[in-house]
Amino acid sequence: MSKDEQPGGSLGFVRPPNIQIESEAFTGSLAMLFECVRSRKVDLQGVPLGPVCTAYFAYIRGTDELDIEAAATGMTALSYLLERKAWHLIPTPEDDEPEGDDLLDEIEPWAGDFQPAMEALTERKHERESLFFRHPESDAQRYELPISAGEATSDDLASALERLLARATKPEIPTVETPKRTLAEQMQIVMATLKPEPESLDTLIPGPITKLDAVWWFLALLELIRLAQARVVMQNGEPLFARAS
Amino acid sequence: MTLIDRVHALLFAADSPATPEELTDALGVPTFEIEEALEELGSRLASHGPVQLVRIAGGYQLSTKPEFADAVARFLTPKEQKLSRSLLEVLAIVAYKQPITLAEVDEVRGVQSDYSVRTLAEKRLVAPIGRKHAPGRPVLYGTTQQFLHLFNLSDLSDLPAIELSTGEVLRAAQLPDKKQPALEFAEDGSKQVD
Repeated sequence: MSKDEQPGGSLGFVRPPNIQIESEAFTGSLAMLFECVRSRKVDLQGVPLGPVCTAYFAYIRGTDELDIEAAATGMTALSYLLERKAWHLIPTPEDDEPEGDDLLDEIEPWAGDFQPAMEALTERKHERESLFFRHPESDAQRYELPISAGEATSDDLASALERLLARATKPEIPTVETPKRTLAEQMQIVMATLKPEPESLDTLIPGPITKLDAVWWFLALLELIRLAQARVVMQNGEPLFARAS
Repeated sequence: MTLIDRVHALLFAADSPATPEELTDALGVPTFEIEEALEELGSRLASHGPVQLVRIAGGYQLSTKPEFADAVARFLTPKEQKLSRSLLEVLAIVAYKQPITLAEVDEVRGVQSDYSVRTLAEKRLVAPIGRKHAPGRPVLYGTTQQFLHLFNLSDLSDLPAIELSTGEVLRAAQLPDKKQPALEFAEDGSKQVD
């Protein structure tokens, strides 16, 4: 049984499990049976649904990484087929049977009708990705300019953060809480601390600090470097931080 | 200084699509002259240079030409905005059936769509545009100018008509201008609608 990427017709865009049915009245997949029954091309009386349900449950139990959408679609298809067959088996006049499936008949238009629209949107989005527009300065979330940290590599910065974290002590109350200050406020603190001459993190941040403090300081430093308000230089293998000149 | 140059300057400085009416207000010349200037500017830019004039999201905006996309992308390293198939499906349904309630989207899809609609609203591609006069006064959703911009649409008529399984031909529903949520910038720089 495998997930098929083809659209599942009236069932939406997720195909049900690939359960193959062989019977006197019908041979094919569960999805095909659903389509044929819905369009009244197959008489369900000739299709035993018990083995189909067994195959479905075997699929549910036997799949390590269950595709929940395919499983749900399969259950929807099976439920529909069972209900249709139940109507066939009830010994009442044919006229008493409801005309089609009310629930499905009401769903018009159905999601599959929008497939051409989705394709058009995808094509348009692809076209749009080749165009670049002027964006406001603060729209940095979409277009992130790379950080220029001079000679310091990301490994150097990571090592510095590691050493800073090693100095950190555990907070007295080990609970997650909202930071007491924003990154912008922390950046102001860091800017006030930075000097024109490069200093190591040990000099820059004296005294006991918590891990939260360490991370907060480091984030603020990185942001200031990104904004070209701070700089980092390497001295004896250690990154030193200073105000941008 | 010609009118074309002045229009060019305004469009260069603008960070969102400008309508001929907005340019008219800014430059104090009749709209038809602005439209002529836009047409001439579009032709000039199309014939040479890396920038072009595009009609998008109900207005005009300058963009780089597609042939420069690779170079600009390497410089800006844009973050790709991926939309899952289910989000795209909900977006298409809203675009063609707007104004539409969440329950009506559910009905078309046959599955619950509240998460998808919420996600699209967070991405500012759909937005509440009113309430339906029905029991419970459910919220009506519509697409935004951000949607038009993301999908390179001047307006919803750029989307193709689709034929429903009923045989009916459906066109993307164009909202009155006053209902179309506007393109604005949030404090973080991302576009937002009110």
